[in-house]
Amino acid sequence: MFTLIKREIQDHFLYLIGSVVLTAILIVALTTFAFHQDTRIDWDDLIAPIIPIAILIMLGFCAMGVSQMYADRNRRISAFVSTLPVTRTHILFARIATGIITILILLIPLIVTTAILIRWFEPPIPMYAGIIFDISLTAFLMMLACYCIGLLTGWNPSKVIPTFGALVLTCILVPLVIIKGFGWEIAMILSVFIAALLIRTWQTFTSASL
Amino acid sequence: MTSVIHYRIQVLTAGFIVLLFFSLLLFCFRFLCEISLLEIMPFDARSIVIQPSGLLPPELEDDPNVIHPSFVAADLYRHPMMHLGSLDYFTSRSPEGRRSNVYSIESEDKYMYLDTKTGQIIYQGFETQTMPDRRVQFKRIQYYVGPEGISELPNQTLGRFDDPIVEQSKSRRYKKHERIVYHKKKQRFLRIDFDRATVTEGPDIGKKHPDYNPIQIGFLSKHFFARNIGWRPPRIKDIDATINEPDLLADQRPLKPIIPSFDHSDAGPYLLVLDESGRIDLLDKQTLDVVGTAGYLPGPETYFGTMPSVTPKDLLSYTVHPLVLNKFCRDDGTIFNMSFGDPYDPERLQNNFRIERDYLGSYATGISRSGTAMVLAVYNAEGKRINAKYTRLSQPERHYKSYLQSSKATFWSRAWAPVLTIGKFLAENLHPPVLSIASYFTASTFEAGAGHRALFLLPNSFVAMISRDYRENWAERYATALWWILPSIILAIWLAWRVGKDATFIGFSPKARRRWIAGTFAFGLPAYITYKLTRPKGTLVTCVNCGKLRRPDMEKCHQCNNPWHIPERTPPSWRVLDDDKTEGNQVIQQSRGGLPEDQETRKDEPDRL
Repeated sequence: MFTLIKREIQDHFLYLIGSVVLTAILIVALTTFAFHQDTRIDWDDLIAPIIPIAILIMLGFCAMGVSQMYADRNRRISAFVSTLPVTRTHILFARIATGIITILILLIPLIVTTAILIRWFEPPIPMYAGIIFDISLTAFLMMLACYCIGLLTGWNPSKVIPTFGALVLTCILVPLVIIKGFGWEIAMILSVFIAALLIRTWQTFTSASL
Repeated sequence: MTSVIHYRIQVLTAGFIVLLFFSLLLFCFRFLCEISLLEIMPFDARSIVIQPSGLLPPELEDDPNVIHPSFVAADLYRHPMMHLGSLDYFTSRSPEGRRSNVYSIESEDKYMYLDTKTGQIIYQGFETQTMPDRRVQFKRIQYYVGPEGISELPNQTLGRFDDPIVEQSKSRRYKKHERIVYHKKKQRFLRIDFDRATVTEGPDIGKKHPDYNPIQIGFLSKHFFARNIGWRPPRIKDIDATINEPDLLADQRPLKPIIPSFDHSDAGPYLLVLDESGRIDLLDKQTLDVVGTAGYLPGPETYFGTMPSVTPKDLLSYTVHPLVLNKFCRDDGTIFNMSFGDPYDPERLQNNFRIERDYLGSYATGISRSGTAMVLAVYNAEGKRINAKYTRLSQPERHYKSYLQSSKATFWSRAWAPVLTIGKFLAENLHPPVLSIASYFTASTFEAGAGHRALFLLPNSFVAMISRDYRENWAERYATALWWILPSIILAIWLAWRVGKDATFIGFSPKARRRWIAGTFAFGLPAYITYKLTRPKGTLVTCVNCGKLRRPDMEKCHQCNNPWHIPERTPPSWRVLDDDKTEGNQVIQQSRGGLPEDQETRKDEPDRL
């Protein structure tokens, strides 16, 4: 399994590098923002630049899912690897694990930085209690959902569905955060949605002919 | 069996994915229609004025010098974006928000919040100390407050608050060093005096009112950005300005209030307490007992009727403002000055003078769930409603003026409004019928603001409005609701018929067919899309018996039940072998089983091979 994950990481190294670079940029931006803020966060100033970056990130993860599945479908990688003692379930699991690792590479440094900045600048009272957890959970689930959309739509021989289908579906899904906000409600919806997408992907992927 | 379970899972997962995307698209379309409708809402239908306000004693209101009587005015604002989940999340969790544990924060050193770990309120502030040389010094103080007492150090014996209701104060002029808190377990109000470092317990409210459940104390407001409200005192001619500028015409002479008026957030000797039922009570600040009713949250007129009584969760926004007359008295009892509203700095004044504060009544606004209707109500000191006005659009007829209720005016009166309303109606009718019916039955259970971010159940749809606001009997109400979702039902029936027909054609079993028909009837278009995405995609072949198309993977033709003659693919019993002796010639060797019938003829024709 680790060999498979390693191989997936090697094949999609560009996305991991992208995650690291984006994390670094966001950490610098957050730190600069924190130094220019007062005790209370001006949400308008924070949210306005984050929206386009968030859309870019979601599209990036969707593209990663698409590229993983599309490359497999067209180069018949899994068909070849299946001749070795691994199943398609193993291959898919390794692929999803790679996606989650990439998401965490982007998210964890950001969470840590935000927590440190809030502790540093906030008065000694819990002004934004629970906000970091809620936002981090929602961001993680949303990134994973977009990645799963990529996985599902990427398994297609044509070029139209993997590119435009994934793009359109991601653009429809991302406003869910604006509509529902953060917290248990959106987490529940996204969890069911991710489960549904993964089951569909698993069924499609494992039942595909060699 | 496994493939059946796989197919079911495939349908359920595809169904949820389709339903989510479909609901998101419909939400965006409905939201666009709604914000466009609010944008073009006529200005006349957004404002209310009650003049005279009826809150003042006749000697002030009927003063012969009064040019303009007092009035209360309210305007309905458009802020539909503020009810979306992400913005609501941040505003409600920011300090002093409705979901925040921070009750006040003025600076990094002056704040009050609930420590959820210990269940105690922590207050940090400054107290002034006059030194022997008359210098004033500020000393930082920190208190830990529990229901049992107050201490400068953390102390478990102080007890713990579980979700306390803390007094909200919006007055910028009047900062008190005390707070009143409702303790749910004890069913008592507590006064925390930070100057004296005491916690005073009031009488048991639960004995008098067993179902008492206050949700707000002090400044009663929800989603303040949705409206603007104000009270103006009676105005008289400004004599000083007239003397300074004698050339001014009579109608150009400036006016001034008969008595100066400031912010209205404090109810004088009382505190307003909002109960979960919508009742507004008067709490005596001294005795900490409920001494009367200040009024009830007013219910606005809606598209399908008037809401006679409403609870806080039924209103998108509300505000209650008390009106107080302050009399500044000298020690001998003579009144030397008066003002309305919150006194400028009572602590400083009280050193030299005495203030008598008379509670005159209150005025309140309530905004409907859709944000298209508002009511302004005035209550006297006894809590009796003395006036109420609703947002309406005046329409001049030939000899008179007619008034159109503001929701109806919003939906139909302006150019493009009918198009947007029909668009909203059609989007609601594309929603799965079963969810529309569920919206009807759950219409009142959702908080008004949450209805603006609902994806699956629609508390702001027309059918939900009928459920809440329609005043007829339940059967008529239900029939009206069904009439409003009739397009949805017709569409669902048509789609179910198409699915049934296709399912018969494709060879689904009668049980599966019935399930698909029921599912499509319940979920409408999303179910139809799911069916199209998950239906078997095998190529059909012609049945030799009935001539219709049949599935090749089934044993019998699903049209005529004729068994499927699968051609046996037995290997031929003959082999072509190389003969070593006769080079270049091939010899057919017959096996024991013989040749199949269709190849029998070739036995005699070896040369043809």
